[in-house]
Amino acid sequence: MKYDTVPDIEMNSLFLSFGSKKVLDNFSLRVYPGMKVLIRGRSGAGKTSLFNCLLGFVRPQRGEIFIKGKKLSPSSIWEIRQKLAFVAQEPDLGTGKVREVIERPFSYKANRYLSGNLGKLQEMWDLFLLDTTLLEKDIRSLSGGEKQRAAIVLALLLDRPVLLLDEASSALDRDSKQAVSDYLRKCEDRTILAISHDEEWASCCDSKIDLLEGKAVSGK
Amino acid sequence: MNIIDISPMSLAMGYILLLVPSGFMLWYRVPLIGRTAISIFRMTVQLLFVGFYLQFIFHLDNPFINIAWVLLMLAVADLSIIKGIGVRKGRFMMPLLLSLFSGTAIPLLVFLWLMLQMPGVMDAQYVIPVSGMILGNCLRTDIIGLRSFYGSLRKTEREYLNRLAQGATMEEALKPYKQEAFENALSPFIASMATYGLVTLPGMMTGVILGGVDPFIAVKYQIAIMIAIFSGTAITVFSAIWLTSRKSFDLYGMLDREIFVQ
Repeated sequence: MKYDTVPDIEMNSLFLSFGSKKVLDNFSLRVYPGMKVLIRGRSGAGKTSLFNCLLGFVRPQRGEIFIKGKKLSPSSIWEIRQKLAFVAQEPDLGTGKVREVIERPFSYKANRYLSGNLGKLQEMWDLFLLDTTLLEKDIRSLSGGEKQRAAIVLALLLDRPVLLLDEASSALDRDSKQAVSDYLRKCEDRTILAISHDEEWASCCDSKIDLLEGKAVSGK
Repeated sequence: MNIIDISPMSLAMGYILLLVPSGFMLWYRVPLIGRTAISIFRMTVQLLFVGFYLQFIFHLDNPFINIAWVLLMLAVADLSIIKGIGVRKGRFMMPLLLSLFSGTAIPLLVFLWLMLQMPGVMDAQYVIPVSGMILGNCLRTDIIGLRSFYGSLRKTEREYLNRLAQGATMEEALKPYKQEAFENALSPFIASMATYGLVTLPGMMTGVILGGVDPFIAVKYQIAIMIAIFSGTAITVFSAIWLTSRKSFDLYGMLDREIFVQ
């Protein structure tokens, strides 16, 4: 871990509420390059809101966010999103064949230089125990677990330094969970912030944070 | 023109024909009698009112009054679209007015200047009915296009956010919604255009033929107006989505839900 460098993620005293409900209450966190951090908490504890704040989908009423030293603002958010890869619990990847869905983000101006990474698609597909024939199927016909793995493969191919995983393996069977966590454990340079209740994750994370009503109540 | 006028008495007799659909409705107890009566009453009163008003405007044939009439039609269409798509007036009124204005004015001027080569562009006999035809279609197309764009975006917002998270610019993330909106908005007119002459004789052409004009001249007018309407609807819907989307998202690319009435 590179504690002497600029943190990949820095959140300072975030406060977020929706109406009278406090979602994040004076929440601070620093995640250094290469760290794997697990966030746990009950439903409604503010875990997903935390990711939404990092992605600029929701703006906290107070506090600051820095990604790789850059303060999150309307002008920086478009560049910041290019440093992050987000995998949701129920990924909404769009419509069309799986291969088209995976190739689509590489047509975006910001990702065109990464299109060579698509050459690793088959290798990653096999590594995460996905059937090759799925690539030619309609994305809607995939099971929850297949969609999650496809979304993780896509996030890895986009080669972002920071991975945000929101219950990204909740629908996977034991073998697939193991395959995914084994792979991510080996990604030493990649920073991972994961929301999960799976034991497989707990074993491969350096640090765990328990969220209760928007506050970090414990962590190590 | 050798057109036969319809006397008020003869027109009233025409209403006898309505006994046939009314009879069917009563026999099968179709619950449409009340609505039909209201619609027929409204159609009659509104058209008579417009008839009298246009007679007056045609008589004056003042370019400024003609322009004022077209602007009034644009404002009414603007408010109808805002109501039709369920958004707040504040932010949508000007962009929609601008899109309706460009979608009506550009084809109208091409129609009058280039096609008809009229010396006086603001001649009431041409300007008011032609702009009315273009505008009526623009209104319908705009409602379909904007409903599709904002409706899909609200329904599949997570998909849109996912695109942003993958590094898409707003334009890249909105592209599929725009494509779908344009397709939904323009398809009905494209489909009906393909059947003209085979399945239907369009209203304008029928009117011109009834007015005693040679059918071939009527056809040429119809072709010109179809091109004008199609171009106008396309200009309106493209510019409406472009202009309103500039006002509907914040600097982070998030759709501002405050724009919707509900």
